Amino acid sequence: MGRSPSDLAVFVGKRLLQLVPVLIGITVLTFVFTHLSTVNPCNQWFPHSHGAVLANCQHMFGQPLYVQYGEYLSSLAHGNLGVSEAGIPVNPAIVNGVPATLELVLAALFLMIVIGIPLGVIAAQSAGRWADHLVRVFYLSGWATPTYLGAVIAAIYLAPYLGLPAHGEYTNTPPPFRQWTHMSVVDALLAGNLPYTADALEHLFLPAAVLAFINMGIATRMTRSSMLEVIPLDYVKSARMKGLTEFWVMYKHALRNALITTTTVLGVTAGGLLAGTVVVEEVFDWPGIGQYAYYAIGGGGATPNFDGAVAVVAVFAVGVVVANLIADILYGILDPRVDWR
Amino acid sequence: MRVLRANPLTLVGFVLVAVIVLVAVVITVAPHLLTPYGSDAPTTAYGQAPSWAHPFGTDSGGLDIYSEVLYALPFDLVIAFAIAGIALVVGGALGLVAGFWDRPGTASGVASVVILRITDVFLSFPSLILALAIAVSLGRGVWQLIVAVLLTWWPYYVRLVRGETLAIKHLPYVTAARAAGVTEGRIVLRHVLRNVLEPVIVYFSLDIGTVLVTLSTIGYVGLGVNYPITPEWGSMIATYATAGITTDPWTVFAPGAAIFVTVLAFSLLGDGLRDVLDPRSRRVLAGAGTGGPTSTSPAERQEEAAEVSGEAGELPAVPLGEGSPAP
Amino acid sequence: MTDAAISVEGLSIDYVVGAGRFHAVTDVSLEVPAGHVVGIVGETGCGKSTLAQAIPRLLPEPPATIGSGRIVFQGIDLVKVPLWKMPALRGTGISMIFQEPLNSLNPAYRVYDQLAEAVHIRRQREAGRSRVDPRPPPPFDYSRRPAPEVGEALSRPIVPAGATGALARKMRERHPELRDEVLDYLRLVRINDPETILELYPHELSGGMRQRVMIAMALSEKPALLIADEPTSALDVTIQAQVLTLMKELIEEVRTSILFISHDLGVIAETADELGVMYAGRLIEFGPVAELFDAPRHPYTKALLRSSPTRYKSDGPLSSIPGAVPNLSRPPPGCRFHPRCPIARPVCRAEPPPALLPADGAGPGHRSACHFAAEVASLP
Repeated sequence: MGRSPSDLAVFVGKRLLQLVPVLIGITVLTFVFTHLSTVNPCNQWFPHSHGAVLANCQHMFGQPLYVQYGEYLSSLAHGNLGVSEAGIPVNPAIVNGVPATLELVLAALFLMIVIGIPLGVIAAQSAGRWADHLVRVFYLSGWATPTYLGAVIAAIYLAPYLGLPAHGEYTNTPPPFRQWTHMSVVDALLAGNLPYTADALEHLFLPAAVLAFINMGIATRMTRSSMLEVIPLDYVKSARMKGLTEFWVMYKHALRNALITTTTVLGVTAGGLLAGTVVVEEVFDWPGIGQYAYYAIGGGGATPNFDGAVAVVAVFAVGVVVANLIADILYGILDPRVDWR
Repeated sequence: MRVLRANPLTLVGFVLVAVIVLVAVVITVAPHLLTPYGSDAPTTAYGQAPSWAHPFGTDSGGLDIYSEVLYALPFDLVIAFAIAGIALVVGGALGLVAGFWDRPGTASGVASVVILRITDVFLSFPSLILALAIAVSLGRGVWQLIVAVLLTWWPYYVRLVRGETLAIKHLPYVTAARAAGVTEGRIVLRHVLRNVLEPVIVYFSLDIGTVLVTLSTIGYVGLGVNYPITPEWGSMIATYATAGITTDPWTVFAPGAAIFVTVLAFSLLGDGLRDVLDPRSRRVLAGAGTGGPTSTSPAERQEEAAEVSGEAGELPAVPLGEGSPAP
Repeated sequence: MTDAAISVEGLSIDYVVGAGRFHAVTDVSLEVPAGHVVGIVGETGCGKSTLAQAIPRLLPEPPATIGSGRIVFQGIDLVKVPLWKMPALRGTGISMIFQEPLNSLNPAYRVYDQLAEAVHIRRQREAGRSRVDPRPPPPFDYSRRPAPEVGEALSRPIVPAGATGALARKMRERHPELRDEVLDYLRLVRINDPETILELYPHELSGGMRQRVMIAMALSEKPALLIADEPTSALDVTIQAQVLTLMKELIEEVRTSILFISHDLGVIAETADELGVMYAGRLIEFGPVAELFDAPRHPYTKALLRSSPTRYKSDGPLSSIPGAVPNLSRPPPGCRFHPRCPIARPVCRAEPPPALLPADGAGPGHRSACHFAAEVASLP
């Protein structure tokens, strides 16, 4: 039985190694997108361009496939994610956008955990009764809300009603301090600027809440079903028999075990949250890669920016893989029965 | 039917789905029963707010939004069923192969490993984003839309069917059938398929909703079908979102509400079905049927469950847990 | 009546499932005298586990409903206590040992944390500063209850040992005094190396070890009543014997009141003072163990004794009881045992026997529920 810190390092290392084939697969798939989706995409991608850009593109597609893939990988390794149709490099936009999106997604995840998991516990405790039905209608409503509709209702109707901003990261941009991390709240905190921190939190709340609401179902449902599995077990009864109140029986003893299975859906959650950012960031004008993707895809009548779109897809894929990795490691830490070696 | 009685919400979902399908049929066969206006036929009212004559208002071009939402229904349903259905058949077949013939060293074993690796890669992309990227490279259109979503949809069925197949193929009765000389093909058809079907159908009914929401987002980004030539909710939203979300909000909310209600209906049905068919929930429910004294032996529980179910005819869902939890 | 640790009066429990009603326990009256060990035996599904869990109100209600009857504990009718007040009555009041050693300890916490929690709750209550129940305390005084003595194990010197695990360390830092007492209780259940056991997770222990820890946990509450729900049934036979020996020794040492549920007559014979026999949800015979074994006054008890290879009585061939346990959704009319009873007569089919009556010619306290209790002695 190995559960010392050094065993944990081995455990994490093994999981990291398992990622390699998936990451290679992702690059192959994105390569297929950029290079093979049409026979000679240059004219389609750059219908209005000419000269160097077009010639460069045409030359690249003259090479054999493996050479193209090699070139693609080496350019990826150099941090070159391509150039937009208008000739603007994709790279800086992604680098600046990822932290903002990460902040939004983490905030949404936080809301999902602090609201969605207790809702699942309540639903399990009252399984088959009205509170259970209410919770179910709540999370299925999130599930059934088209992302755009949810975002737009929050931005146009809810925001004025609650007195919350629904546009960008700060009321006054740019803020009077250095953007160290490109995460609005974190930067304001680092600068020690409390008014801006509060302002950033207010701006963050609505988009995060919309994202959380739409994805709530996964957390709540999983918590409910694993709680239902745990509640009839003897150790829950023996916790009750110690004289603990129902609250502690549920949250210290039952939920602690139910969470072990709930963490496994974290990866699925990441996919939903990231996909949601495309629309939510656009509606709330959040400067992340979701909004970048929206315009790169040609949303709002913009000219499609193919390299940009593929870059975002790749970043999101890596995000999902990393989320799954974290879920896997969390599972190993939460469940004392998992041997780390 | 016992499944529907188990949870009132499942019944609500079932009734809603039935009504939606009925409306879709009527609007296709005899549209005049539901609306006096033809598809894509402008009225003389321009940009009107909802009224008795136009329940969901009209757009600036004079189209009656109520009729437009109804005319889009059959198309949306068909496209959702087509995508989920094809994904089910293709992904399910691959999952069956990968789950059942996975002995290492054989040709099929190698094939199943390849299938799984490719599935893993696809699964690491958020399907909506991948579909959007594919849609960009394919361009606009009905077929392009279907292909784009389909390409990202099949891996989920591979994973589901493979998991179920793996669970079933080591069950004693499958081993017994093999020992009795039943051919592999017959085992797959008679035992594995029949048992895989249940969870797959449950997942499918939930999936219809997910496809519809995904379609709406693709439409919103502007990669959907060409509205108003082809009426479709997502594209309707996209068209009106840029044209008049602030001036004529009903043009956006009507198709949005239509998506919401349709997806909610399928989700209520699917979620309820999943609760009852999910082996874990089922066990919990069966335990509750005997009052859930789980410290009794498994044999005792089974016996009591059999007695109770033998008497009542079926095992309805029974609430578990404490009567009044402390705050 | 007054010196009973618990007295159950006319208790009926149904499981309501849809339109069906499953009569798990019907009109059971029973009393555990203070300091006594009362055993309950019966076949699988006879309602003994339901009874055991109904006393501390552990049954999920619904589907379980207590139809009628009283459960009197320290002058309080537990049936009438609202569920949210029950935590105050569990623990130091009523404690329980469960059947499945695999599931009765929380797999997510170390042995120390689970035991310390139990001791901690008890200490808070003893000190009268219980944060356990934030609501107004139930209308009775714990201090009036005579605290059961827990051997001399408590006064032994403690050998401190280094520990690992952040959680355990934190808990220990906050309550260093708990550790000593936890160790005492582990020694009490004859665990040789308690310092090591403390830092382990339940899955790292063997089944017998887990059950010892469970027993230590239940005893550390110093309960007024201990309910043991088949504590040895899920263990291997050799381990079963060890745990049983331990329980017997502890019963001598601790002298708390125990309700001991088992389907194993041998186990009961070795531990209990009095014995109740349940059949199809009813208590059909009750009496001192020795007398009940020597001269049963109910044909079912007689048949049960003849069908089990007990350590207590092993003469004569084994036999099985013809027929099957009745369906408790629709129990047979009259005496519930009549379809399988060798001496059944028309009256048995027509009317249920009166609840436990003193049997003719039987010793004091020996009662049975049979129309023809006197004839049982003459049965083969």
